[in-house]
Amino acid sequence: MHFGKTAGIKAIFPVIIFLLFSETIFAQKIVRYDLYVKDTTVNFSGKPKRAIAVNGQIPMPTLTFTEGDTAEIYVHNELNEETSLHWHGLFLPNKYDGVPNLTQMPIKPHTTHLYRFAIIQNGTHWYHSHTELQEQIGMYGSMILNKNKEPDIPTVPIVLSEWTDLNPKNVHRMLHNASDWFAIQKGTTQSYSEAIQQGYFKTKVANEFKRMTAMDVSDVYYNKFLINGKNESQLPQFKPGQKVRLRISNGGASTYFWLTYAGGKMTVVANDGNDVEPVEVDRLIIAVSETYDVIVSIPQINPGSAPVSYEFLVTSEDRTKSASLYLGEGVKQLASPLPRLKYFEGMKMMNGMMKMNGDLDDMGMNMSLNQMDMNVVMYPEITGPPAGNKIKETAKPAEMKGMEGMKMDDNKKPMESGHADHNMYNSNALSSITTLNYAMLKSPVNTSLPRNAPVKELRFVLTGNMNRYVWSMDNKVVSERDKILIKKGENVRMVIYNNSMMRHPMHLHGHDFRVLNGQGINAPLKNIIDVMPMETDTLEFAATESGDWFFHCHILYHMMSGMGAVFSYENSPANPEIPNPRLAQRRLFADDRAFHFMAENDFATNGNDGEAMLQNTRWSIGTEWRLGYNDHHGYEVETHVGRYLGKMQWLMPFIGFDWRYRKMDMDEVETNLFGQRNTKDKRSILSAGVNYTLPMLVTAQAEIFTDGIVRFQLERMDIPVSKRLRMNLMVNTDKEYMAAIKYIFTRNAGVTAHYDSDMGFGVGLTLNY
Amino acid sequence: MKSIKILMAAVLLLSSILLKAEIKNISTDNVKIAGSCALCKEGIETAAFEKNISKASWDKDTKMAQVTYDNKKTSIDAVLKKVALAGYDNDRYLAPDDAYGKLEDCCKYERAVKKDAVAQKKMPEHQHGAMASTDKDAAADPLKPVLDAYYAVKDALVNSDGNAASTNATSLVKAIKAVKMDQLASEQHMIWMKVMKDLDFDADHIAETKDTGHQRDHFSSLSDNMYKVIKSGKPSETVYYQHCPMAKEGKGANWLSQIPAIKNPYYGAQMLNCGKTTETIK
Repeated sequence: MHFGKTAGIKAIFPVIIFLLFSETIFAQKIVRYDLYVKDTTVNFSGKPKRAIAVNGQIPMPTLTFTEGDTAEIYVHNELNEETSLHWHGLFLPNKYDGVPNLTQMPIKPHTTHLYRFAIIQNGTHWYHSHTELQEQIGMYGSMILNKNKEPDIPTVPIVLSEWTDLNPKNVHRMLHNASDWFAIQKGTTQSYSEAIQQGYFKTKVANEFKRMTAMDVSDVYYNKFLINGKNESQLPQFKPGQKVRLRISNGGASTYFWLTYAGGKMTVVANDGNDVEPVEVDRLIIAVSETYDVIVSIPQINPGSAPVSYEFLVTSEDRTKSASLYLGEGVKQLASPLPRLKYFEGMKMMNGMMKMNGDLDDMGMNMSLNQMDMNVVMYPEITGPPAGNKIKETAKPAEMKGMEGMKMDDNKKPMESGHADHNMYNSNALSSITTLNYAMLKSPVNTSLPRNAPVKELRFVLTGNMNRYVWSMDNKVVSERDKILIKKGENVRMVIYNNSMMRHPMHLHGHDFRVLNGQGINAPLKNIIDVMPMETDTLEFAATESGDWFFHCHILYHMMSGMGAVFSYENSPANPEIPNPRLAQRRLFADDRAFHFMAENDFATNGNDGEAMLQNTRWSIGTEWRLGYNDHHGYEVETHVGRYLGKMQWLMPFIGFDWRYRKMDMDEVETNLFGQRNTKDKRSILSAGVNYTLPMLVTAQAEIFTDGIVRFQLERMDIPVSKRLRMNLMVNTDKEYMAAIKYIFTRNAGVTAHYDSDMGFGVGLTLNY
Repeated sequence: MKSIKILMAAVLLLSSILLKAEIKNISTDNVKIAGSCALCKEGIETAAFEKNISKASWDKDTKMAQVTYDNKKTSIDAVLKKVALAGYDNDRYLAPDDAYGKLEDCCKYERAVKKDAVAQKKMPEHQHGAMASTDKDAAADPLKPVLDAYYAVKDALVNSDGNAASTNATSLVKAIKAVKMDQLASEQHMIWMKVMKDLDFDADHIAETKDTGHQRDHFSSLSDNMYKVIKSGKPSETVYYQHCPMAKEGKGANWLSQIPAIKNPYYGAQMLNCGKTTETIK
C-alpha cells in the first residue's frame, strides 16, 4: 500500500526533471501509482471464491495525493476481461473520468492504461471499477486528497464494503427474476403465517392488494460486511484521550451502513470530500458511495487502570450483520447492536403511502433531505420493541400513542396535530438519539453559484418496479433516453423526486452540487445525494466542464438496470478516447438491454412441469410446459413473447404459440366455458393475448387463438404461506385448474406437491435456475 | 431375549449417534465473566450456548466460566462477545451500557473497569459546560447550581427515567438549601424567599417517588416557581422558557431548558418535541 507512492516517486524522478526543463507549467509534484489488476481467490465466509485484487489486495491500495499534485496512475489490466477505474468525486478532464464506453473505451485484457490529471481539490474520495459488476468483488479503494496543511490529528482511511459468495452476475440475474432466496436468507420473507403470528394479517393482505411483494430496505443478502477488507480488526496504536479522524468511504455495491461508536458521540466534519461545520451526532447512515469524515475520541481512563478499546460499529441498513473496528488497545467496549427491523410496521407504513396506481403519496408532508425517515417505524430503538400478538394493544409504538393523543385534541388545537404528523417520522424528535440528516450539513464557506448565469432547470422522477427489478428515471432507462444537453456557463438546477419504493443514492460525475437545505449561502457541497422514497431534493451546480458526465443511482444493480442519464455539454470537442462514438453508445446501452434467463422444472410423479424465461426491461419471452409420462396425460408447450407496458408494468400484451398433444378416448371432446369445442388431441396454433396483474398479484390472462378459441385464465404464483412454503393457484375457462405447494430447500431446489386437472396429483423435485 | 439384544444394540447405536452430535474439535478455556447471582448464571450460560458449537459453565463464587467450544466453527472471542452483548463484562469484551441496564436488578454486578470509563466518558461531555461555568460564574450567579440540578431533573424526565429523576431531585434539594441568599440581588432575594419553600416541597416529592406521573405533577409547579426566580435576575447562561399546551391533560405546562430545541419532559419519547419556546431569558 505504501510502496506504490514512494517507489513511484523515485521512479518518476527523472521524468520530473525532464518535465521541469520542458514545461514549467508542470512544476507541481507528480505522484505515480502502478495498479496491477488481477484475479484472486478470497475466503471471507469459509468458502474460497473468485475476486479481483489490485496489487494483491482488497480493498485496492489507498491512493494519497496532496492538492496541487499531478496524478499519474498506470492501470495494468492482468485480467482476462475488460476493466476501468472511476475516480469518484474528482474534478478532472472528462476523458479520465473512467466510465467505459462513455468517457473512454474499456481497458482491454493485458493492456495498460494511463490516467493523468491534476489534483485540484482536497478531501476524502474513493475509486472503483465502473465496468459491469467488478466493484462488488473487490475493486474499490480509498483516495485521500490532502490539503497542503492538514489538521494535526491521526487519520485512518476506511473503506466499507460487503461480500457475497454468489457470483454478482448471478445476484443480478436473481434480482431480475424476483427470486426471494435473499429474503429467505435474511429472514424477511414476510409470509402470511408470520403476519398472522405477529398480528399483521390485514397489513399483509392490504400490501398484496396494492400489488406489492415483501418489503425490504435492501435487495441482496451478503455473507460478510467489511471494514478495510476485514470483518473485525483493531487499531491498538491509539491511546486514551486521543482523537482520531476516520475518513470513511462506502465502497459497498448496494449496502447503506449505520455508523455508531461505543466511545460516545461522533463529530462529522466533512461529507463527500467537502468540509462541513462540525456537527455532533450519535449515529449516521452512510449512503452507497458517500464519504464522511468523522472525528471520534478514545475516552480517558483513570490513571493506573487498564486501557479499553472502543468499538466503531458498522451495521448494514437491513441490520442482518455488522463489521467492527476497535480503536485503542485493551478489553473491547462493545457498542449496542442495532435491533432487527420491524418489517410489518414498515409494510403498514408503505401501504398507507401507496396509491392503487402504484404512485406514492406523501400525504402533504413535503419530505426532503432524509429529515423524516419513514423507516423509523421499523426501528425498535426509537419506536419501541416489536408488538407481539397479545400485547399489541397495550404496547403500541410510542409515536402511535402520541398520534392518538393528538387526534383527541384535534378539535381544540388543529395546529398542534399537524405538528405531530410532522414528528411521526422524525427520529431526532422521537428519541434522544441524534441521527444525522442532510439539513444539518453546513458548509463553512460561501458556496453560492455565479450570479447572472442563465439557469437550466431539470426535473427527474425516480421510478422503479421492485417485482420486475426495473429501475429508471422518468420511467426511462439509460438506453431509452437522449443525452441531457447542458451549456458551459449556465447554472443547472435539478429537482429530484423519488416515486419508487427504495432509496437511491444519486451520483453526478465530475461535479459537486449544492444541496439546497436551508443553509442559504452555506449550502453543503456533495456529489451523491440519497433520496428516500417520497422525498424531493433540489440541487444546483455551475456547468464549468465539457464532455459527457454520467448521472446515476450508485446502487450497482440499479445502475446496471439502467437507472441513470448522461449529462452532455453542448459543443464539446470530440473525446480522443472514444474513436467510434456509435459503437461506444451501443455498448453502453447494452448494460440495461441485457436479457436475464431463468428456468424451472418440476420433476414430478405425474409428469414434468416447468417454464423458462428470458426477460429484459420491457420484453419477456417465456415458455411453459407440461409434459406427461404417457400420451393420455398429454404434452403441452406454450410460448409467449410480450412487452410490458406502463411504469408499473402490470400490462403485457403478447403473441403466443401453443402446441399440445394428447390422446383422448373415443368420443371424448372437451368444451370450454363458452361452449367452444376443443379436441386438444393435436394442436399447434398461434395466439394473441394480454396479461394484466390484478390486486393480490393475480395475473389475469386473456388469449385468443387463430382457430377462434378464447381462453381466460387467472393465476397467482408464489403466495408466501410461510418462510419457505409457496403456493400457486391457477384456473381457466378450459376448465383446467391447478394448485401447487412448494417447499424451498435451497437456492436451486425445492419439493412440490401439486394437483393438475390434466395430469392429476403429483409430487416432485423442483429445480430452478 | 433376542429382542432385548436388538433393543440394546439399538440403544447403543442411538447413544453413539447422540454422542456424535456433541461438540467436536473441542477447545476449553477458563475465563472470568462478571456476574452476581443465580440469574446471571442462567443468562451467561444461555448467551454462550449454541447447539453443538459452544457451551459454558459459570461459577458464581469464583466468577470463572469454563467455556467449551468447537474451535473450527467458533472462537473464544466470538463466544465472549455474545456473553458481553447479553450484558456481562468479561476478559475480552465489555457489555454495551443498555445491555447491562436491561439486566435484572440482582444481576447488576459492580462494573470495575467500565464504571471508571463511563465516569470519565460522561465527565467531559456533561460537565464540560457546567464545570467551566461553575468555576467562573459561581460567584456571579449563586443560583447556577440550583438551575443545573433542576436541568438534571428535567433531563431525567425527558428520558422518562423515574429513578434518575428521584436521585437528581435529591441533589436539587441540597442545592436549594445551599443557596447563599445574601449573594442574591435584592429583587431576586425577595422572590427567592417567597418560593423557596415551594421549590423545596416539590423537589422533595420528586425525590420521594419513582413514579414519573407523580414526579411530573410536581415538576410543573416546580418549573413555574423556578421561572419566577430566574426571570427576576440575570442568569449567567441563556434560559429558554418552554411550553407544551397538551401537558396535564390539556391544561398545558411549562419548563426551563438550557437548549432552544424542544425536549419535552412531560411526555418523554411519546411526544418528545411537542411544545415551543415562549420566552428566552438572557
